[in-house]
Amino acid sequence: MTSAVAQADAPVLQQARGRRSSLTRSRLRSAWLFIAPSLIILALIAGWPLARTIWFSFTDADLNNLSDYEFIGFENYLASYDGEWLGLLTDPDWWQSVWNTVWFTLVSVSIETVLGIVVALILNAAFPGRGLMRAIILIPWAIPTIVSAKMWNWMLHDQFGVINDMLLRVGLIAAPVTWTANADTALWAAVAVDVWKHTSFMALLILAALQMLPQDIYEAAKVDGVSPTRVFFRITLPLIKPALLVAVIFRSLDALRVFDLIYVLTSNSRDTASMSIYARQQLVDFQEVGLGSAASTLIFLIIALIVVITLAAGRVRLGEDPR
Amino acid sequence: MADVVLKNVQKSFGRAKVIHGVDLDIRDGEFVVFVGPSGCGKSTLLRLIAGLEDITAGDLFIGGERVNDLVPAKRGIAMVFQSYALYPHMNVYDNMAFGLELAKSSKQEIDRKVREAARLLQIEQLLDRKPRQLSGGQRQRVAIGRAIVRDPKVFLFDEPLSNLDAALRVQTRIEIAKLHNDTRATMIYVTHDQVEAMTLADRIVVLNAGRIEQVGTPLELYHRPANLFVAGFIGSPQMNFLECQVAGVGPGEVLVSLPGGGSLSVPVEPDGVQAGDAVTLGIRPDHVRIGPEGALTGRVELVEELGENHLLYVDAGQGRRLTVREPGDARHEAGSSVSLDLARDFCHLFRHTGEALRPQADATTPTSPNLTSSAA
Ligand SMILES: Nc1ncnc2c1ncn2[C@@H]1O[C@H](COP(=O)(O)OP(=O)(O)OP(=O)(O)O)[C@@H](O)[C@H]1O
Ligand SMILES: [Mg+2]
Repeated sequence: MTSAVAQADAPVLQQARGRRSSLTRSRLRSAWLFIAPSLIILALIAGWPLARTIWFSFTDADLNNLSDYEFIGFENYLASYDGEWLGLLTDPDWWQSVWNTVWFTLVSVSIETVLGIVVALILNAAFPGRGLMRAIILIPWAIPTIVSAKMWNWMLHDQFGVINDMLLRVGLIAAPVTWTANADTALWAAVAVDVWKHTSFMALLILAALQMLPQDIYEAAKVDGVSPTRVFFRITLPLIKPALLVAVIFRSLDALRVFDLIYVLTSNSRDTASMSIYARQQLVDFQEVGLGSAASTLIFLIIALIVVITLAAGRVRLGEDPR
Repeated sequence: MADVVLKNVQKSFGRAKVIHGVDLDIRDGEFVVFVGPSGCGKSTLLRLIAGLEDITAGDLFIGGERVNDLVPAKRGIAMVFQSYALYPHMNVYDNMAFGLELAKSSKQEIDRKVREAARLLQIEQLLDRKPRQLSGGQRQRVAIGRAIVRDPKVFLFDEPLSNLDAALRVQTRIEIAKLHNDTRATMIYVTHDQVEAMTLADRIVVLNAGRIEQVGTPLELYHRPANLFVAGFIGSPQMNFLECQVAGVGPGEVLVSLPGGGSLSVPVEPDGVQAGDAVTLGIRPDHVRIGPEGALTGRVELVEELGENHLLYVDAGQGRRLTVREPGDARHEAGSSVSLDLARDFCHLFRHTGEALRPQADATTPTSPNLTSSAA
């Protein structure tokens, strides 16, 4: 009986399959048609410069004369002359800038994540004026980085800055502090401005995740008598983790290529330089296109590596049993 | 002791008043079902008892203690939500154990309770699954399991079966009835399914627009509805209603003139009703018979065959439609004329205010339609 049905159906099925494949083909064609423009633009504005940068990193190109260069292999990265090691990988300034950038990213993104969660939880509660608050906290984020860096630069100024003035009045410091010039405090100042600027962005991403959460489980938790802290750590946090991870990756990518904030805010010393500042210095100030390109290529690799590690770590934890 | 007593309980959301002073006395171990049309406040009332909403005015007592200001966890209740409300990232075991972890019970104690509940609900083999890997019925059982392990004095159910298919509904309904028998806990159950209400309830509470219309056992509500609303709400298909005039009254009976000329003597206490008053006659579809010499005549508009019985929709003139339920297959076709015999012992009379007239002082609940005596 079943086989009879199957036989009767067979031609129909075949027909359907044939029709579907032609349909699929035409769908694929139009899909390609639609994404082709973006692919071409991406190739032109991202792919080509990236490929060129990587290529230049293997040459001795000079900014004065970009058409005249020679292929020198890995010499920009690492080379040995008479038993002496040279190249980017041996430059302590480069490693200082890598460390500065990673430290800046870790500290600022961590603080932004914690503060962002706190702000999002507050904004998620129902209180009068909530809509206005949501708009207001976005203002720091909407101000261009150059502007806020310049603004904070003034506020942190050792003689005329309002911060020193306030701290002096309260009595927390005895003498004005050169916040942005002092190697000990300059990166902290950069972190503070970055946190001021980006916490609201983080909070908004987290808030969106919070609002997707089903409300009934919170009522169930109420009936179960679960304390608010436990509700947060055992219910809310696990449920917003995927969104949180995306937000952290977004912010980390942004922070790892930090340039304008530190460039404008601090006195541009090697103690505070980020990877991007180092690369720009090689490229523009020292006109060493080859070395600058090598630094840019390494930045690209470092960021890619960190993203892969973060994603992998996130996935492992997502997959495992929470018990 | 876990009786639930509501004294003039009211609830307003902002300016909108949703519960208008509810008085209710639910005895320990009783199974009470809230029914009523959508939006009448069933869920709100349940959530007030659970403590998920604040009581605007009035008092709520559980086990003799006033609990208005107690948080849900301290009220000794457990709630089963219509949407199940399972923690999506926890497996079945943790969903049930989570609420216990704070109650200072030991790990072995929790484990014992969870496994016992799982055995009771036959979900032992599902303990490692996440809610999204379960069917609707299985999720519902986990939700009930989570309530059971709390060992509550009062179970609250908000339409727990409405997302299940018909067969699973019957099965889970029976399981809930069994659970009530085993635990003897007080249960309050919201539904808009009549069969669930009739089969599960010790007493049914009929709500309408935030007020209680009637409280009683299922059969009390069915046989002696207190007003038009309850009469129309309980029973399916709905009770037939005919606008009539009182032709005369006697001790323990009211004579009404029927549309179309006939008249009928209904055995109810007149209680102030006088000749000439407008009343509503109510009679269930089962108690209207197609007879040779009925009190009403009409034309069959539609026939619905249900197998064990059939429904006739009869137009009795002037837009009056009556539903007739007769056993077996239909013997009349759409378009044919029939005469309808109303079993007078099963007739209800309602004043124009909607309030029912009490049946004859001594009248017990009628047990079987007795057409010959009513015709006499
Ligand atoms: N949080 C709220 N804010 C304002 N009004 C509400 C709120 N919750 C419920 N209501 C109103 O209260 C009334 C009763 O709602 P409730 O949910 O109790 O109805 P219900 O009897 O459970 O209906 P259903 O059978 O559809 O579930 C409705 O008119 C509803 O609009
Ligand atoms: Mg409801």
